Amino acid sequence: MQPYEMTLTAAADAIRQRRLSPVELVDSVLARIERVEPRLGAFVTVTAQRARRAAREAEREIAAGHHRGPLHGIPMGLKDLIDVAGEATTASSAVRAGHLAGADSTVHARLAAAGAVLTGKTHTHEFAYGLTTPQTRNAWHPSRVAGGSSGGSAVAVAAGAATFALGTDTGGSIRVPAALNGVVGLKPTYGLVPRHGVTSLSWSLDHVGPLTRRVRDAALVLAVLAGPDPRDPASLPGAYSTGPAQWAEAKSESEPDLTGVRVGVPRTYYFDRVDPEVEAAVRRAIGRLEELGAVTTEVDIPMTRYIQATQWGLMVPEATAYHERTLRAVPDLYQADVRVLLEAGELMPAGDYLRAQRARTLMRREWSRMLADVDVVAAPAVPVTAVPAGQETVTWADGTVESVSDAYVRLSAPANITGVPALSLPVGHDRAGMPIGMQLLGRPLGEAVVLRVGDAYERSQPVRTPVSPVDATAQAAPAA
Amino acid sequence: MSSAPFTLTPAADAAGGLTAPEAARWAARCGLPLAAERHAPVAATAQYIHSVVSVLRELDFGDIPPAAAYRAGEEQHRAAV
Repeated sequence: MQPYEMTLTAAADAIRQRRLSPVELVDSVLARIERVEPRLGAFVTVTAQRARRAAREAEREIAAGHHRGPLHGIPMGLKDLIDVAGEATTASSAVRAGHLAGADSTVHARLAAAGAVLTGKTHTHEFAYGLTTPQTRNAWHPSRVAGGSSGGSAVAVAAGAATFALGTDTGGSIRVPAALNGVVGLKPTYGLVPRHGVTSLSWSLDHVGPLTRRVRDAALVLAVLAGPDPRDPASLPGAYSTGPAQWAEAKSESEPDLTGVRVGVPRTYYFDRVDPEVEAAVRRAIGRLEELGAVTTEVDIPMTRYIQATQWGLMVPEATAYHERTLRAVPDLYQADVRVLLEAGELMPAGDYLRAQRARTLMRREWSRMLADVDVVAAPAVPVTAVPAGQETVTWADGTVESVSDAYVRLSAPANITGVPALSLPVGHDRAGMPIGMQLLGRPLGEAVVLRVGDAYERSQPVRTPVSPVDATAQAAPAA
Repeated sequence: MSSAPFTLTPAADAAGGLTAPEAARWAARCGLPLAAERHAPVAATAQYIHSVVSVLRELDFGDIPPAAAYRAGEEQHRAAV
């Protein structure tokens, strides 16, 4: 196994035991980027020089006996909405030409303090306002969409071009590309991870979180990211429990066991208009949770008729507000799909926005009631796997037609509206070989339970291919 | 390649929805003057957004307050930590 193929957990163990140097690991990942990036288009910028310098520094520190923790010397990609002092934050947009971040975002500052090594900034759908990331190709098939908006981060992690990455999630933008590229994505509880220094799409729906190859890896990253920051008005006060980190770092040689864990299986919404192969894979995975001791019970998802309306009623005016000045100054620099949404957002009355805010109050209450009876809810992450690039709609068995973006947002939006934690993890492939994701949703601040269930499932399955077969797919279908 | 993020319904003019001139006038009132070629696409998109969001008018909210990101009272406390 090459260093770039290692999971974060394995690489961290190897570095701590001095079987692997951060310099070797970073060099391996940079070489992998050089090899696969022309086919994938995952990165806006590769910060090779900066990464090599940081890796040498990490190597020196560790050799001197100063090991900062499991992220020390680990290469990472950051979605290019996240400020890193001295680097551009392009938001994958011409609007940001000439941008230079003057200070670190809170998340980069925390990761840097933990010793993580930035190897590059990854592509986003322009300003995170879309679900495909058209600049980037799927890690499993070059003619399929990467998903979005954190498409570059998911593809980089899947292809071995980053050991982990950060994304943002306003309507599924971590979980959707994670599912479409066969990696793990965690949208934490709203307010748990500070967004200071992260370009906003919609303040009241935005979350920052990790994309990794294994569930355990996500827990290690979360432990570094989580915690209050007064510069983010949504940041949750008080100390965050280090439970997930301690759990993730603990040696777990015992058999996975979910005895007594209550898993809610939605009777409504999450299995409606879902591809049969996706449904079958997710139901098989839920069956596996039962074999591990979990007790399943059916749950009714509340207020399903109002989910899309609430998501749009919040997101559309907030996004337009963020872009107010640049939409007037340089409208031609936006991509057509993003521009028209920002312009149309100007026409939404304040009454609609307030109704969405009030609907969110109701939805949070109803979800709280539902989650009182279960520890997690298990459901598909997305209703369909990665579609061919350029495909605009999905036609369902009942004859209804849905835009690809609406379909990808549909099962993600409830966790953005209610703020509950949601994890997407791989549970198989469809007949075309495209990855399928399962979503585990928990109670607010219930990350430890969600991660524990995901980890138990993962450890009960055969080990997945360490990285996506980019070389093989590139040979099979050269120019997409 | 750029994929439209949302599917738009046909222009709403015929169905009594938002017309292109109305969209232009409203946008101008919001301080966003639109070039003539923007009127129709913006009207169609705004009409579709309206059709999605207006379903919330079915709900009786009573005394339910909005759930905003901002929580008064906690800022000062955190700043003192």
